[in-house]
Amino acid sequence: MSRFLVLTLNGLTQGAIYAAMALALVMIWRATKVINFAQGAMAMFTTYLALFAIDHGAPYWLGFIVALLSGLILGAIVERVIVRPVESAPPLNIVILTLGLLLFFEALAPMAFGGQIRSFPPAFSIVGVHLGNSQVAFSPFDAFTLGSVLAVMVLLLVLFQKTNLGLRMRASAFNPEVSRLLGIRVGRMLTLGWALASLVGALAGVLIAPTFLLYPTFMDQVLVYGFTGAVLGGLDSAVGAVIGGLLMGFALSYVGGYLGSDLETVGALVILIAVLMVRPRGLFSLQRLREV
Amino acid sequence: MLEVIDLTVAYGPVVALHGVSLTVADASITTVLGANGAGKTTLLRTISGLTRPRGGSVRLDGRDITRLAPEEIARLGVAHVPQGQGVLAELTVDENLRLGGLWRRDPRGQRVALAEAYDLFPPLANRRHVAAYSLSGGERQMLSVGRALVARARVLLLDEPSLGLARLVFAQIMARIKTLVTERGLTVLLIEQNAKGALSVANEGIVLHLGKVVARGRAQQLLSEEGLRHVYLGF
Repeated sequence: MSRFLVLTLNGLTQGAIYAAMALALVMIWRATKVINFAQGAMAMFTTYLALFAIDHGAPYWLGFIVALLSGLILGAIVERVIVRPVESAPPLNIVILTLGLLLFFEALAPMAFGGQIRSFPPAFSIVGVHLGNSQVAFSPFDAFTLGSVLAVMVLLLVLFQKTNLGLRMRASAFNPEVSRLLGIRVGRMLTLGWALASLVGALAGVLIAPTFLLYPTFMDQVLVYGFTGAVLGGLDSAVGAVIGGLLMGFALSYVGGYLGSDLETVGALVILIAVLMVRPRGLFSLQRLREV
Repeated sequence: MLEVIDLTVAYGPVVALHGVSLTVADASITTVLGANGAGKTTLLRTISGLTRPRGGSVRLDGRDITRLAPEEIARLGVAHVPQGQGVLAELTVDENLRLGGLWRRDPRGQRVALAEAYDLFPPLANRRHVAAYSLSGGERQMLSVGRALVARARVLLLDEPSLGLARLVFAQIMARIKTLVTERGLTVLLIEQNAKGALSVANEGIVLHLGKVVARGRAQQLLSEEGLRHVYLGF
């Protein structure tokens, strides 16, 4: 199998995870105009919770559900308890608050679960499947990763585009004040938005843990890549976030494969700077559609 | 009946409303007139709960709603159409209209109300699935009034609906609103700088100047008061 194809398949799987992280960031950005820098740390924490459940005899699937559910709950708690009280403060205050939250979770995790590097079991084999005589660089777990990210995205799309609840959530994100005048309980919509975003982040964490190994800062890199993907896609576009995340997966896979894996982080930085210089609005920003 | 009693609102040291009282009778249009900075928008924002007053109260059918959140006041049937119409530009016309009545959790009533809104404003029906940012000013105004209709609002608070509209379009929309007042008993509080246009559709008029009521009376009577027109209304 050609090297290029191997790197592309690898990039697709990694990209799906970055896309999930990017989507989580964009969901919160759209609802509250805040970059949640704690998104990765929250996902790290929920992944530890999943491992904790598995350590105590739970099957993988239960651990998976623990990760997603605890993500949902953690997101709601963070919004209600931490973000809500400073809602009307300048955005910078909230951003600094999320940075504080990042440090908090990264300090809490070693205390709660121990600081040593842990391995996380995959749901399926991570060995490439055989097609005829040759082995393909695409494992059943890769398929599971792609499938579950895709499933969550489709569910979110249906929720936002086809349901009344999604309509209320979109309205609250676009214009909270007008939404309140329409009788929408915007506060609840924000809590739900944070909860769902945090669930998507938790999914990214639990999916990448088997390849990355689990330690308190293991999501930092994913957060940076997801953030770059989100900026690439335009920050306020969910579709853009997904495409940006996938592009990051491919780009970093090629950088790592052809130039050396040490350069992946540098590659992300270069992409981030290039986007900000050439097209600061990102590829899919809705900004130009907005009325002044 | 909407009652505002001795309302005082301040932004820090700046007093925007100074002991303002007014009553809007059911099934009538009351207009509040005044120049920029008279406190008109503050008055509407305080009634709908967006701004907290320093003193005084707002009552809806005798019930004190002064401390309620805006979304709860909306659910009591008060529809506030803010300046610039408060249309959600990124959403379609249909989505905007539906949002008006979602909290009622009454899908059947919702369908009827939507049909009524489209009947009342046929231009909207043609643009049902178009994003609201592409609407003209007049269509946006129709959309926000239609949305209040879908919400089954009993009280309509309009903040400068004439702003940016051609005179004829404004007159058409006000004629529709008048129909709603006579046929459904809609209660309207209309804020305007365009005093002449507002007084010609309203039953009662109130003139605000620097946060205080300086004149009130029947709309026809205010229209004919020379001194008032020159000093406060500028026509």
